[in-house]
Amino acid sequence: MKEKEDPVLEVKDLRVDFHTYRGEVKALNGVALKLYKREVLSLVGESGCGKSVTALTIINLLPENASVLGGEILFKGINLLKKSKEEMRVLRAEEFASVFQDPMTFLNPVLTMGTQLEEVFMLDAEALKQAVVKQKSLRRDLGYSDFLSLKGEHQSPSTSNVEVSKAEIKKMAKNLCVDILRIVKLPDPERILKQYPFELSGGMRQRCMIAMALARRPSVFIADEITTALDVTIQAQILHLMRELRDTIDASTLMITHDLAVAAEIADKIAVMYGGNVVEVASTREIFRNPLHPYTKMLMRAIPTVTRSVEKLEAIPGTVPDLIDPPPGCRFHPRCPSAMEKCNIETPELKEIVENHEVACYLY
Amino acid sequence: MQSRSSEVRKGEWEARLADMKYTLYLFRKNPLVMSGTIISLFFITLALLANIIVDPNLAYPEGYSNAIYPFERKYMWSVDNMINWGPGIALYHGPEFFYLGTDGWGRDLLKMVVLAIPIDLYYAVIITIGAAVFGTLLGAIAGYIGGVMDEALLRITDVFFAFPPLVLALVFAAMFGRTLETLVLSLVLVWWPPYVRLIRGQVLSEKEKPYVEALRALGASHSRILFRHVLLNSIYPILVQVTMDFGGVILTFSALMFLGFSPSPALPELGNLASDGYGHVFDAPWVIFFPGLTMLIISLAFNLVGDGLRDILDPRLRR
Amino acid sequence: MKGILIVENLKTWFPIKSGIIQRTVGYVKAVDGISFNVFRGETFGLVGESGSGKTTAARSILRLIEPTAGEVYFDGVNVTKASKRELIKLRRRMQIIFQDPYASLDPRQTVNSMLTETMKIHGVISGKSEARDRALELLTKVGLSKEHLYRFPHEFSGGQRQRIAVARALAVNPDFLILDEPTSFLDMSVQASVLNLLKDLQKEFNLTYLFITHNLAVVHHMSDRVGVMYLGKLVEVADKNAVYTSPKHPYTFHLMAAIPVPDPEFEKEEVLLTGDVPSPVNVPSGCRFNTRCPYATDRCKQEEPSLTETDGHWVACHYEIDFQSGERRS
Repeated sequence: MKEKEDPVLEVKDLRVDFHTYRGEVKALNGVALKLYKREVLSLVGESGCGKSVTALTIINLLPENASVLGGEILFKGINLLKKSKEEMRVLRAEEFASVFQDPMTFLNPVLTMGTQLEEVFMLDAEALKQAVVKQKSLRRDLGYSDFLSLKGEHQSPSTSNVEVSKAEIKKMAKNLCVDILRIVKLPDPERILKQYPFELSGGMRQRCMIAMALARRPSVFIADEITTALDVTIQAQILHLMRELRDTIDASTLMITHDLAVAAEIADKIAVMYGGNVVEVASTREIFRNPLHPYTKMLMRAIPTVTRSVEKLEAIPGTVPDLIDPPPGCRFHPRCPSAMEKCNIETPELKEIVENHEVACYLY
Repeated sequence: MQSRSSEVRKGEWEARLADMKYTLYLFRKNPLVMSGTIISLFFITLALLANIIVDPNLAYPEGYSNAIYPFERKYMWSVDNMINWGPGIALYHGPEFFYLGTDGWGRDLLKMVVLAIPIDLYYAVIITIGAAVFGTLLGAIAGYIGGVMDEALLRITDVFFAFPPLVLALVFAAMFGRTLETLVLSLVLVWWPPYVRLIRGQVLSEKEKPYVEALRALGASHSRILFRHVLLNSIYPILVQVTMDFGGVILTFSALMFLGFSPSPALPELGNLASDGYGHVFDAPWVIFFPGLTMLIISLAFNLVGDGLRDILDPRLRR
Repeated sequence: MKGILIVENLKTWFPIKSGIIQRTVGYVKAVDGISFNVFRGETFGLVGESGSGKTTAARSILRLIEPTAGEVYFDGVNVTKASKRELIKLRRRMQIIFQDPYASLDPRQTVNSMLTETMKIHGVISGKSEARDRALELLTKVGLSKEHLYRFPHEFSGGQRQRIAVARALAVNPDFLILDEPTSFLDMSVQASVLNLLKDLQKEFNLTYLFITHNLAVVHHMSDRVGVMYLGKLVEVADKNAVYTSPKHPYTFHLMAAIPVPDPEFEKEEVLLTGDVPSPVNVPSGCRFNTRCPYATDRCKQEEPSLTETDGHWVACHYEIDFQSGERRS
């Protein structure tokens, strides 16, 4: 029985709207999430459910026409929503790292991988300086895992006075680049550092993106549909890598995907989202063994899987809610076979029904 | 984005109308475009009403025969018709009150400018649309078919691009003479190449889109695909270009007139009116100033409309 | 038994040109000799990853891309050698649904116009109102309704657009439908309803499907038989169950093992392929899969295996491999 410690990241009652020509899109309707240390939480949902918007709100990358109407995002106790843009920028850089779906658009096509990866390391020259000093004391080459453990270590006055040359800092950055590429299982890192993004395959690029994210030694690693654009065999490799990295890195991972199968492969906990709310959260095993929310149940019956042969898939009747004019109360109720009077009035809150299994539904 | 399910449209036109409402909304949001549109509409209305509010005969002084003069230097007409710049001509305030003064013929400049507007606009429309249609059709077909025809057309347009437009226009005007019809022809010949380039780029990219492949799979012929689908989807930049070219054409047309290619010296046309004041910038500046200012405002207005259209029709901002 | 669609040694190569005079320096061998039959009324699933050539194969069959070599027969008619007029007639009977519901519909056309256009092209109807009635009938068949008739594509969701694409394809009563990744851009729940629709329509109109996808779970649900492509060639063709439960080709085996399963209880071995999918420009010599195959031998590097059959199960491999034990036999 694990001690219920405090979550690293907690989202409470988050409400976000977008202003568009056709009206106000009520994208997030009171999202609640908890992400614990070293945990992989997968946010699963279909398009329009708000999973990407949640991630973007956390790292403060919402577009101009979005407004956060309410709620809290607590990172290690601090409410991120109350921070200024500049403070958020610094926090975002130091504690959050994200990887998105299409690596080609996120990499600069005219710079080599080496230049781009080094640049990420060089953003925190102080940390590199610390690393150089440490390396001198260790008398061996400093690797990424050592670099990781340096995070949060305060500099003693003796070390902060040591002279470290620019060349040494650059060299440290270069070494870390090679080491981190090795950690993401890229063969021949030195060669890859000299290549341009278009010379690499999709899977390799995605690994580089992951490396760039890890270079910042984040506390929270956000992966938004990172395998969606990849082939099945390459996806399997990346998922395998993510599983292995869990032991190496110290971060909590928020894995966003629309593919329940991918979530099953990699997540400790799954949070199902629908229409701007989190409707169910449980451990992966638990949620598949015992789905409670009607949407989750129907979703599982709607996906074809190779382990089960059916004549017809059970499609969910109706369509995803119009977020400009959403149904009152629980946004799923128009399509729900167990809908009651109550569901039409107020949105149900996420409550713990079974141990470590939360559902937002009036059935319970 | 989904429509309200209660809205049932009964036909194709209703559908297109509903689609336009969104465009109008975007239009209204932009102040520059709105001012450009208002000014343009003002001038168009003025053009339509010009011959009603001002008597066109005022353009032709007594005894003047409206014959077209052969190609000679402008001021070498018969002695009877030479313009005499003595005192009394080109007045700012005289026995009658002239708001904009008189021109070199003693005509009320305000009335002349009003009469000139429909002529300029009318010919600008003909030229722009003529060039657009010609250039677009050629460019679309060449872009769609590709191959040798496409290459040949590109080379030809390259030749045209090598010359500055005004110079080219002068050459053509000199070749073809100075009737209004030949001037139109000259300017159309100058203005069609940019449309070829424009439409060709659009067609090349539309051609690769999945719906074109889908149409081929359905059995559609190439001409159907080109004219009913690809062309219609590529038309937006052309519309923008037409609106913006409008200003340029008016300026070039007037410039040609100014330089002496007018078929008749009394023709009320902005460039022609301005040319009378050419040698008299310091003693009668209004003769060249007001027609010039009018030209400027008209071009600017249409340019603004075109610019706004470009922003509005940008597919990334819609839908 | 002969199939309604017979593909014989189909090859589609794209020349790579370089230099000022545009000399052909090589070829992208997207499809490099595939042969298979599709029987009337069945769903044949064609699977493969990027670079496998499955999309090019589909288009070559319909001659949307002209094949370089080989023959395709549809109901006895030679498609590859058909004249322009014959091809248009064939197009009435062989249709295709594309992957991207957002781009495969002309954004300037209303639904009505799209549906009636096909009818106009093939001269199937006589008047405007008759065409519109038929369009309405088609819409209802795919689960849409009257108010959708005069709407534009951008007013619909992805799932609805695919339905419109299906309606458009069915407008002239085809026999054969190629489905090129029809649900990969759609959400899970929408996918289910579109797949159900496709199955219903197949039964109602006795359609034959060639279902192309990289989603192995979907192809498992939809197909009767499955063909696996790798780098332009078919490596295995068999009944659906045979392919999924007892694959014979190492690539098929690894492909099946890589599918994420939405069931955490399901014990899956960690079987991973190393490296990336090679490009169809530089095809490895011998068996194309030898660079990634854990069972490759020297013979595999030199000699290309041919697709041979045992009991309706076709494999292109020099060996028989027992994937549990790793044993390899000739």
